[in-house]
Amino acid sequence: MEISIIQALLVFVVAFIMGIDQFSFLESLYQPIVTCPIIGAILGNFELGVVVGGAYQLVQIGSMPIGGAQPPNAIIGGIMATVFAVSLGMEATADGVGAALGLAVPFAVFGQYVVTLTFTIFSGMMHKADQYAEEANVKGIRNINFLEMAVLGVLFGVISVAGLYGGSALGETLQKFSYDFSWVMAGLDAAGGAMKFVGFAILMKVMMSGEMWGFLLAGFAMSLLCSANASTSGATLILCAFVGAAIAIYDFTTQTKIKQNAGSGFAGGEEDGI
Amino acid sequence: MAYNIPEKYQDLTPAQPLDKKTLNKMVWLSCFLQASFNYERMQACGWLWSILPGLQKIHTNKEDLKASMAHNLDFLNTHPFLVTFVMGIVLSLEQNKADTQTIRSVRISAASPLGGIGDALFWLTLVPITAGLTANMAMEQKSIIGAILFLVIFNAVQFIVRFGLMYWSYGLGTKAVTMLTANAKEFTRAASILGIFVVGALIANYGSTTLRLVIGETQINIQSLLDGVLPKLIPLLITLGIYALIKKGWTPVRCIVLILVVGILGCAFGIWSGNSQAMDADGNTLPGGYTPLVEWYQYPTPEE
Repeated sequence: MEISIIQALLVFVVAFIMGIDQFSFLESLYQPIVTCPIIGAILGNFELGVVVGGAYQLVQIGSMPIGGAQPPNAIIGGIMATVFAVSLGMEATADGVGAALGLAVPFAVFGQYVVTLTFTIFSGMMHKADQYAEEANVKGIRNINFLEMAVLGVLFGVISVAGLYGGSALGETLQKFSYDFSWVMAGLDAAGGAMKFVGFAILMKVMMSGEMWGFLLAGFAMSLLCSANASTSGATLILCAFVGAAIAIYDFTTQTKIKQNAGSGFAGGEEDGI
Repeated sequence: MAYNIPEKYQDLTPAQPLDKKTLNKMVWLSCFLQASFNYERMQACGWLWSILPGLQKIHTNKEDLKASMAHNLDFLNTHPFLVTFVMGIVLSLEQNKADTQTIRSVRISAASPLGGIGDALFWLTLVPITAGLTANMAMEQKSIIGAILFLVIFNAVQFIVRFGLMYWSYGLGTKAVTMLTANAKEFTRAASILGIFVVGALIANYGSTTLRLVIGETQINIQSLLDGVLPKLIPLLITLGIYALIKKGWTPVRCIVLILVVGILGCAFGIWSGNSQAMDADGNTLPGGYTPLVEWYQYPTPEE
């Protein structure tokens, strides 16, 4: 398949926008059912794009990004599945495009690496954000947001265009690379999973005092109990908030009553005397 | 951290209620909640960006704006479509110049449970229904109507939720806050109790760090031993360890680098669980998620 510069440029732009949209903006443009027809149209086979989009969407429904966990990337996956379906001239039926979805997997995995790397690097950028906040630098905060969107967009664009030219040969190289260096990516995955503990520790520093330790452990225990039970695990944090709110409201009521009584201590004392 | 966030704002006179234009602007900006998503604070920086128009209107005192911006960079993870609910509550507290600690506690307590509700509502209900139906339309009729229908339904729901929650919670919060300011000290204490309870719950709920190690002839799985002692022991210990480091004066960025080094070195020796999502030439996933650089123990092969 001959690819013109214009086509490559358009694919880059689409991947750029979708790379951002997967986390920000409308958070729906990036779904394969929308992305694949657009890529199909750019490559000159709109109908095939629609069918690939439908097929990929059905696969995707089973793996939505939930609670910070990241499945192989749907955007790169969808774009590359369409590229393969069009370039290999596949039949526009659900069964016909099945092989294209498989060929796209190494690219989808790589797209996920890019996301993991970006999220790791921008954990370091939070230090910069703290500085901007201390200077009340509104533009600085805005620029950090712009910067991450730009980085994600460009990386997604580059992978997609590379995939457009490299095809399945590049797919095999990527697969071999991720196989050989799987421990590095697993290390990033493990480290990324642990970085939120820094965020928790900062929050603890704000709220923690002697007697609060009990509440921290109580919340920890409540969460473990709820998540261990299949029927309540989905609602773990809401249930924890219910219990926590009950304790907090009780404490608030008790403390305000103590204060009121302390204020009327003199009058009460005299009445008691009578 | 060099900058200590003050407990109270300098200017304690309640600010004027926010006008419709500012509220709407924040709803639109809330679409970019995750623009600077990262593993340490998750949506914190996007959150700050989204509510800045409101904060700038509320805090005309420059020092107060600095304090407010600094504490609005706390860890935050909520559902991107339900976030305007948290915004409304937080803005009503900011407007009444509540103690910074109160705002921080209320924010994390309101935001965290919404994450789970939102996932269930949107990703597990709305998307499968709309996308499932329209995907079949795309494949059978080969028409673009499916995609258009999906976009229209999904975004109509999204924006009704965003705008509705913002106005509802801002009104609700403004009413409740004036009632609570009479007992500000007690309210701060109660909010901290709820906040710290929720942080405890978050450690267990989001803490995913586990060990991969399988040791000895009898293939002892260390993680299942630890789970027998106390589930999520490792996340709890890491959080407490980092809390101790931060108390000792470590900056968050130093903690992040430490975690990165320990994470990658640990995986070189196969200590931590981690999913590389890599595959061998036949498209099979790797046992234990990855192949360590130094393989000094035998990972059990899954039974066929």
